[in-house]
Amino acid sequence: MQVEVSRRRFLQGSVAMSVVGGASVGVTNLLAGHGEEKGELSVTTKTGTSKATEVATLCEMCVNKCAALARVEDGIVTKLNPNPLFPKSKNMLCPRGNAGIQALYDPDRLKSPMIRVGEKGEGKFKKVSWAEAYDAILNGTDKFPGMGKILEEEQDNRSSFLFCAGEGMAEHTFKTFYSAFGSSNWLNHASLCLQTVVSGYGVTLGGYPESDLENAEYIIMAGANRAEAIVTPDTMDIFKRTKGRGAKLICIDPRFTNTAAKADKWLAINPGTDLAFVLALTFVVIKEELYNKEYVAKHVNGFDKYKINILDNNYTPEWAEKITGIQAKDIYQIARDFMAHAPKAIYYPGRRSTFSNNDFQLRRAMAIFQGLSGGIDTKGGLVFGSKLKLDPHEGLEPIYERAKARAVNKVERTKGQVGYSDCAVVSGGGSWVGWRNRYLENKMPYKVRGMFIYKHNPMMNMPNSAKTAQMFKRMDLVVAIDTMPSDSVMYADVVLPECHYLERTDPVKTFGGIEPSIAQRNKVLEPMFDTKPVIEIMGGLTQKISKPLFDISKKYDADIRDELANLNGKTAKEREAEVYEEFNLHKPFEHSQEYINQQMVQGTYGKDAVKSLRDNGVFYPDMDKYFKKLSGNEHQYYPEKHKSYTVNGGRAKTNTNKVECYLPNLTKKGVDSMPMWHEQYLFTVPEGKFRLLTGRHAQFTQSGTANNIMLRDLMHENYIWINRRVAKKRNIEFGDMIEVSSKVGKTTLRAYPTEKIGPNTVFFVHGFGEESEALTWAYKNGGNDNAVIEDIIEPVYGASSMHETNVEIRKV
Amino acid sequence: MARYGMALDYKNCINCKACEVACKEENGVLLGADKHRIWVGANDVDGEWPLLDIVSATFMPSQCQHCDDAPCQSVCPTNATYYDENSVVRVDPDKCILCSYCMNACPYDARYVDDRTMTVDKCNFCSDTRVARGETTTACQNTCPTKVRTFGDLDDPESEISELLRTREHFSLKAHLGTKPKLYYLT
Repeated sequence: MQVEVSRRRFLQGSVAMSVVGGASVGVTNLLAGHGEEKGELSVTTKTGTSKATEVATLCEMCVNKCAALARVEDGIVTKLNPNPLFPKSKNMLCPRGNAGIQALYDPDRLKSPMIRVGEKGEGKFKKVSWAEAYDAILNGTDKFPGMGKILEEEQDNRSSFLFCAGEGMAEHTFKTFYSAFGSSNWLNHASLCLQTVVSGYGVTLGGYPESDLENAEYIIMAGANRAEAIVTPDTMDIFKRTKGRGAKLICIDPRFTNTAAKADKWLAINPGTDLAFVLALTFVVIKEELYNKEYVAKHVNGFDKYKINILDNNYTPEWAEKITGIQAKDIYQIARDFMAHAPKAIYYPGRRSTFSNNDFQLRRAMAIFQGLSGGIDTKGGLVFGSKLKLDPHEGLEPIYERAKARAVNKVERTKGQVGYSDCAVVSGGGSWVGWRNRYLENKMPYKVRGMFIYKHNPMMNMPNSAKTAQMFKRMDLVVAIDTMPSDSVMYADVVLPECHYLERTDPVKTFGGIEPSIAQRNKVLEPMFDTKPVIEIMGGLTQKISKPLFDISKKYDADIRDELANLNGKTAKEREAEVYEEFNLHKPFEHSQEYINQQMVQGTYGKDAVKSLRDNGVFYPDMDKYFKKLSGNEHQYYPEKHKSYTVNGGRAKTNTNKVECYLPNLTKKGVDSMPMWHEQYLFTVPEGKFRLLTGRHAQFTQSGTANNIMLRDLMHENYIWINRRVAKKRNIEFGDMIEVSSKVGKTTLRAYPTEKIGPNTVFFVHGFGEESEALTWAYKNGGNDNAVIEDIIEPVYGASSMHETNVEIRKV
Repeated sequence: MARYGMALDYKNCINCKACEVACKEENGVLLGADKHRIWVGANDVDGEWPLLDIVSATFMPSQCQHCDDAPCQSVCPTNATYYDENSVVRVDPDKCILCSYCMNACPYDARYVDDRTMTVDKCNFCSDTRVARGETTTACQNTCPTKVRTFGDLDDPESEISELLRTREHFSLKAHLGTKPKLYYLT
């Protein structure tokens, strides 16, 4: 075979290499600090041949936490290499992991604490000391009130503060602060991310499973894109085995993704209709009795009811063909092939945002289909794996009498059954968009006036950015902890700069799976600039605010007053000191991260484990015996007989240890007890409009990496995919500027006409088009999907449905 | 003394470009989409949606082929391009006069101009970085998520690459030109 590939063809992908020059407003000069010129390119450094130190750390360019070895020469990180010892990342670093150096040396990094001096959202700050920043949080300035005033006015209702965090290793530390502070308003990325898939599998199989892609022979990957949305070890395991090399991969996606390019078969599906596809697969295996009868009899609950549901509703492949656009004959074949390969067959669960309103039921249907094959908790199927335990460390969870319960509204959902106004179930991570919209519509049961954001960018990460901006503007006090001046940081009143992940040791973490291990991020360098790890930020802040806030509680909290009145033979002062200890917010932050990590590991695994985590970044029992280098590319982590393929006797992990087809309790909340199809799930797009799809990319992680100059080298900006024939009709050529608009907003980006997408859908990568002028390279670069995506809430968990928005496009 | 070559299990490639970044960071290659020693070639997929030809979308990771009979070396008027002791095609920046004959002569489009050293540069199998430090893999091999590459000594019958080439079918790019590449694509 000969394939012509030229450098020139490669270059087509990088049109418009004009450098977005230094937009210089007051704020950017301030943020640049240290006299650097804006627009100056950070550069690569050739690694040397002389002595260098290597520090074992963990990557934080995305959620995977791959193990890396940082090469340090003369105090500079010159290279990040994969750490072969970690079974989860198996000796690899993706492009983002390699580009972590450019994030470390990004000239736009937040370099010192700042407080707002301009209007909210204007991005005008002044540089202050940490002490001044903490003081501004407690006491406010002439521009904004402090925590003290707010809590005083809200009579110690700790829930008048919202805490929200993105995913990251120090999220744990931030959450420790939230727990001690005593608010009940916590929001994280879950409802913008994997809430419905985790919950759908959770209630059906009793846990969100891993996929044994190293041993599966047949894999359906629908709506998941492991070649571009890299998940370790899945991405490494699967693509070495497709294309006639042991695993057949069926890719189901409206777009021809890089995963489709690596698949044995790709079938285009109408967006949001995967549920009909799975129901039809289920119909075939029930009708033709291809399912694992013994497994179903023993380990599946409610099968008879589900069978009636599938057969009586006549979910035939012919029925599904009209809905999904996938031919009936393909559905028959896939159902038969899947069961022929079972239990070494996987309907890949995926790990992504909620795309459509039926996502929870889709995940239930996928989990049940897997259950019918018997491919659960077994080699080559879906597995639960095992996890190495870590010892707890000291936290603080005081109860404040005046702290109100979570700000949700209850309504009667079905007769006599109380539910929530915007979704059936309120999960730990909450419904972000539901919460924001209730706040804007003045439907909160009490006033929420302040918020803390950690490593989270609500301006970019959730649908309808215009509403998020309104929410920020209405908040009396916004405190942001971040490494970069993101769009959300621009709305902060006080900015607390976190150091980069290579500049800190983070909480030790256990990684479950077939080959479980514990890993630790170790500090590679001292923090540059006036930045700190979250644990030190929280330490300093709590030292400042703890006592003054306790004094407010003393006034309003009847329980505290009772406790203080009960002297127990002590002086009032002694008693107060005693009671205060239960409310001392600083207590969880008294020790260093290194000390806490040691506490979490040493008791169970001994001193050698602590040392291994520090020196090698990784530990698991018998690692010294089990770990072997097999070749330049392959390593053994566990011998085959010690891998955790089966941990629950091949059964689900639900309370009944059975796969749950039928969940009557859901009906009480107004949710179908079994997956079924409804007319409103049909995919329709009005004439002249397009369904907007969004997604991930191997070279970028949402908005978090948008300013990374090395990654921009690989893809300068995001492009909107438009079907080539449609583009031709509309006179749209590659690189033309296109305005994309919906009911809620618009954004502009360049066109990429291609046959990789159908005529009534358009797609662009999430995370581009930031509005923060302090981001030299990300500022107004490409289009922001969330400026356009409507805030449509999935009805079960209140997750954001990302693929339910129709848009218009116009050449500008 | 070795004769270095590389085998590419190209069907593993997912076009993530980890190799491109690792190469730039390891070797201090300049930023810019036109400055790279290594790349993944991708053609636009053939066909009309939804009937697309998957095979036409094959990813081809590539770099300097380190030809045994390298056209870039024979046209170089100053001998800036030379074979080092490990049969790696190298460029001496002190001798390069930027005449760009080599860029035109290379059938694989493997060369680019480094504006800093004013050299027509290209992949050197990490000879002056990793290999000089005694490492046994190149940056691109080491970082690859799906382990496309195997670097090694073709003259050593015990090496992994020799074993691969003995046991797996393989082809070279533009073999008809007679350049005798030392990059081998495994089928």
